Amino acid sequence: MSTRRRPAAPRSSSSGMTENEKKILGFVRSKQGMGATKYEITGGTSIQQALVTKATTSLKKSKLIKEVSNKGGKHFLAVEFEPCKELQGGDWYVDGALDVSMIEDLKEICVNILERLKQKVVTLEVICSCFQKASRDEYKLSRDQTKVILDNLVLDNVIMEVKSNRSSEHSALRIGEVCYKLIGKKSGGGEARDGAFASIPCGACPHIGLCTPDGAISPTTCVYYQKWLGI
Amino acid sequence: MTTTTEFGIVYAVHIITTHFGSVVSKVCDCLLRRGPLSSREISRLAESDINHNKVKDILCLLIHQNCVQAFSVEPPDGSESKATVQYIALFSNILHRARYSKFAKVVNEELGSQCGGVLEALLSNGRLTLEQLIDRDRDSKKSIGSEAMRDSLEKLVAARFVERVPSPEPVLGNKEEGPAQKKRGAKASKIFKEPESLEERILEAATPVDAIRFPIIFEQDSSSALADEDSNVSEKKRKQPDVDSSGPSNEVIWRPNFEELIRRLRHKACVEIVKERRDEGCANVLKAMLEVGRTQEKKAKTDKSVPMSMGSIYEELIKTDAGREMTQERVEECLEQMSATSSYLPAFVIETDDSYIVDFKSIFSVAQKDEMESVVMRRYGKEAFRMFRYLSQEDRFVETDKIADAALTEKKDTPQILLKMWKDGYLHMQKLAVTGVYMPFLLWKVNKLIVSRQMLDEMCHASLNVSLRLTHEMDSEKELLLLPMEKLEGALKERRIKNRAKIVLLSSTRFKLDDAIMLFHDF
Repeated sequence: MSTRRRPAAPRSSSSGMTENEKKILGFVRSKQGMGATKYEITGGTSIQQALVTKATTSLKKSKLIKEVSNKGGKHFLAVEFEPCKELQGGDWYVDGALDVSMIEDLKEICVNILERLKQKVVTLEVICSCFQKASRDEYKLSRDQTKVILDNLVLDNVIMEVKSNRSSEHSALRIGEVCYKLIGKKSGGGEARDGAFASIPCGACPHIGLCTPDGAISPTTCVYYQKWLGI
Repeated sequence: MTTTTEFGIVYAVHIITTHFGSVVSKVCDCLLRRGPLSSREISRLAESDINHNKVKDILCLLIHQNCVQAFSVEPPDGSESKATVQYIALFSNILHRARYSKFAKVVNEELGSQCGGVLEALLSNGRLTLEQLIDRDRDSKKSIGSEAMRDSLEKLVAARFVERVPSPEPVLGNKEEGPAQKKRGAKASKIFKEPESLEERILEAATPVDAIRFPIIFEQDSSSALADEDSNVSEKKRKQPDVDSSGPSNEVIWRPNFEELIRRLRHKACVEIVKERRDEGCANVLKAMLEVGRTQEKKAKTDKSVPMSMGSIYEELIKTDAGREMTQERVEECLEQMSATSSYLPAFVIETDDSYIVDFKSIFSVAQKDEMESVVMRRYGKEAFRMFRYLSQEDRFVETDKIADAALTEKKDTPQILLKMWKDGYLHMQKLAVTGVYMPFLLWKVNKLIVSRQMLDEMCHASLNVSLRLTHEMDSEKELLLLPMEKLEGALKERRIKNRAKIVLLSSTRFKLDDAIMLFHDF
């Protein structure tokens, strides 16, 4: 009897795969850019979890599927598909990471538009049309994307959303139409006061819960107080 | 309802210790932590056993200084037991001791320095008769004379800044609030009344009716002891009987009326907030509205004013110099502005038919929001700030990923930021287990009541810290501070100037922090 080992058969996209692997590959391909988690594969193919793990490891090795990680866990995609925006995190994600600098650029553009048009009432449509005229493609935002940026500026307390009323500045608008203006006294929005509590060391201190009159952290020995009092 | 937090108690006890010493503060601490107690119970429970007689003396002192109120509860029907006198600490009045200068300023501005002087005497002594006030004035360097003292006291009582002391030991009825007792009439049954706390019930029972609480002061005549019931009060001179005569004669005993003093500070704060958020014109209109509605406010911490017409607002407004410069059209504009809502500001005034109502709750919610958001920004950063504001707006539980999407923050960093705020009590968290999903969903919410309470506790803590640091700075240079400034030179003078600057900074910080405490506790 020969003791030579038979050479392993070459694996192709459909040959050399177990039944489970074929089933799982088919299922993952059907999900296209959304991919599927192990749990979804188990549920969709009725294959036991342990066998799914074995099969997905094998398919990854064969470079037939790839893994994409996000907050929701690991997703498996067929190699011919790119992960969709939802899987990557959304409109504002690039390569799985939030594109902070682009978001800040877009916010600055919005603020500049509002600053330029501060004598007028600025609606979402006006800001959208400004973005549509942008030179860079990535700055050509849709209506929904523009709304997201504006909502974020409202959360930053940089702009405010107002509903048009009967006043003269809103005379060109329907009553109840949403418009935006910069926050600040000159814009008629007033300014939020800096909190009295936040302006002292205790307000910003992450250790206030540990601070006691005679403890290791106390007002008489506090380093933040030393700095604040100029010692 | 009084919100007594842990550091609220510690701060209150610190105030009592500073003013009256540690033995007195132990009695106060016992009452604040354990609630109403009899004198025997206090003697038994207070730290470092204070004998019963000493406890009684301390209670007399605290009552005289308006920090404690005695009361008793009617024994159950048919019971032969006697009602035991108990004592309750008045947390708000203890905190008021740190803001006497603000109260004095209100009176000085409205009624002048003579009235301010009389109020200051009452604030520092707790309670005095007119005779005692006159005696003190006679012994002082800048005496104003008994006529002026009486006149000042009359003005203070008429303006309700000063009141007759309350009943020394009111008796609370021992009734359960059953359905039968709630039926008072068709109207009463429709009006929902929040259940009163024990402290509110005690204070209500102790407070006499307005005619007795704010009597007209006549010339003191020792021969007439009782009021003539049939005669017209304004025509005859007689002596009013007192409900609590602790002095040698049966004179009325007076004390500051903290309710009215806080009301004035509350109104002032409202006007400031509107001035910052809108403009001077709106602030002037609001001031007039507050003046119109003031006498009809049933309690200092009311949510809304009474409705008032444009005419009554304008009539009040034109009594001031600034108001006379405003046309009716401008006033209408201001009212419209204050009635408008944006994502940034709620409406400060409610317009109904032909009248306007001041929405105090709305005005203070803006200032409270600023305080909360400032802390979140400074302590946790800009991303946390956006998340906190988003959750405040939503006012419901929201899942982590949705918060990350709304606040445009990295999904993997969002949970850590939210957890930090949750650990410090600024967010509410709930876990939602979903079948088939390995990790439960985390849901987050801003519960404004809980955050307000947390903020109040931390602000009391901060006030305590600032006070302790102030004492430390003053003690550390005690000898230097005794030397006259002109005799100092070089390094010593430098040190003295630096020390002075620190003391000024700490004192002004404590002053402003107290405004923030009032915003969450008293307003």
